[in-house]
Amino acid sequence: MRRSRRRGDDAQAVLETALVIPILLFLVCNFVAVMVQVTVQEQLNAATALAAQSRFQASSDAVDATGTRCCGAHGNTLVTSGLPTGCRYAAESFYGTMTTYTGLLHWQTAALCTFGGDSGNGGAQPVRPVAYAGSPSNADVSCDIGSVKPGGIVVPGYVDRALNPPSGLDVVICSASASVDFANTPLAWGVFWTPTLHARAEALPPPFRQ
Amino acid sequence: MGGEFEGVVRPRRAPGARGGQAIVEFAVILPLFLFCLIAALDAGLWAVQTSAETSAVEQAAMIASSAGATPLSATAPDASAVTAAISGRLRSALFATGIRSWCATDASGRCAPDTTQRCPSTPAQVQAADGPRVVVVCVSEADPPACTTPPPGLAAPYPAGCGDSPTITVRVIGFVASFVPPGFGPGAGGFELPTNISATTHTLRFAP
Repeated sequence: MRRSRRRGDDAQAVLETALVIPILLFLVCNFVAVMVQVTVQEQLNAATALAAQSRFQASSDAVDATGTRCCGAHGNTLVTSGLPTGCRYAAESFYGTMTTYTGLLHWQTAALCTFGGDSGNGGAQPVRPVAYAGSPSNADVSCDIGSVKPGGIVVPGYVDRALNPPSGLDVVICSASASVDFANTPLAWGVFWTPTLHARAEALPPPFRQ
Repeated sequence: MGGEFEGVVRPRRAPGARGGQAIVEFAVILPLFLFCLIAALDAGLWAVQTSAETSAVEQAAMIASSAGATPLSATAPDASAVTAAISGRLRSALFATGIRSWCATDASGRCAPDTTQRCPSTPAQVQAADGPRVVVVCVSEADPPACTTPPPGLAAPYPAGCGDSPTITVRVIGFVASFVPPGFGPGAGGFELPTNISATTHTLRFAP
């Protein structure tokens, strides 16, 4: 009788341990996953901000020549022929910065630049947003010129370089989205969620340019 | 009265046996508990350090891309100037980690300009050069190819991208201090984890 009770106590201790250990490991896995998510979000924010800044680092009237390609991920390259050179600069800065954790990310691709325009362009000064029909649609970052209205809606615009432009001040808005997939990591044992991260950055054109 | 609780009250064990079981349970749980505690602490520490590095390289890239020596400067500030600009931000987060500027010397033994600077590609290279728990800030500049007369049938500018502004890459790479004990992590010295964070941007240059 006494021996069977002692066995029961031992079994209870083993059961308690068997319950507590997976719960502890589950908590640690999820804690580490949240830290990874925070880190990736930081890097996504930085890459998007630098992309927005770079959009205006090219000459205002520079357009990529036929056959120009750049960067890209997953073995793809972006064909930027006919697009403003600033769009390629934005992509190069984004991909050049977003170099780590890429194996964890599933990107939501979009068009690199769909509209814009710059009144500093001496050849054809826009009076309305210019649509870029040939923009590559497999870009992980998307940059357009416009203004952000309440609710986050982007209204297409162009950079009016007149002092105090009557149409208001338009900015470049770059955005990127990706989901973090832990399936191919040791964390997959205890992490069952796939967070989607979004980053958006705005930049003003610098006052003095080429 | 005594018979009423028979079978409910836990029988007493010999004190030695009970103490032995407790010690065994403790010996099993303690390493696991310590592992979980240290893993959680290390994950938090690593996230703070990586976050600081990411914001620092972003700031450094903006400094390096917009602040040449003069408005017509053809090159970015050197690594030591950029390191000095962001070291305060890095130092507050990377405690117990040394922060240095990476300087590959040229033939004359002086720090090579950013345009010829080759940043280390792995944290192990930094460890071999500077020792354990050291990160370096490396600034490299990539200039576009010079424009030439295009061959017949091709339009200027030639070659492609020859009129581009240079790109600046700022990289923080090395090993940061952590709670990983010697022999368990990738670092040779122990108590360190690798880091490799970079930011790239095009420079802002005024027309000469």
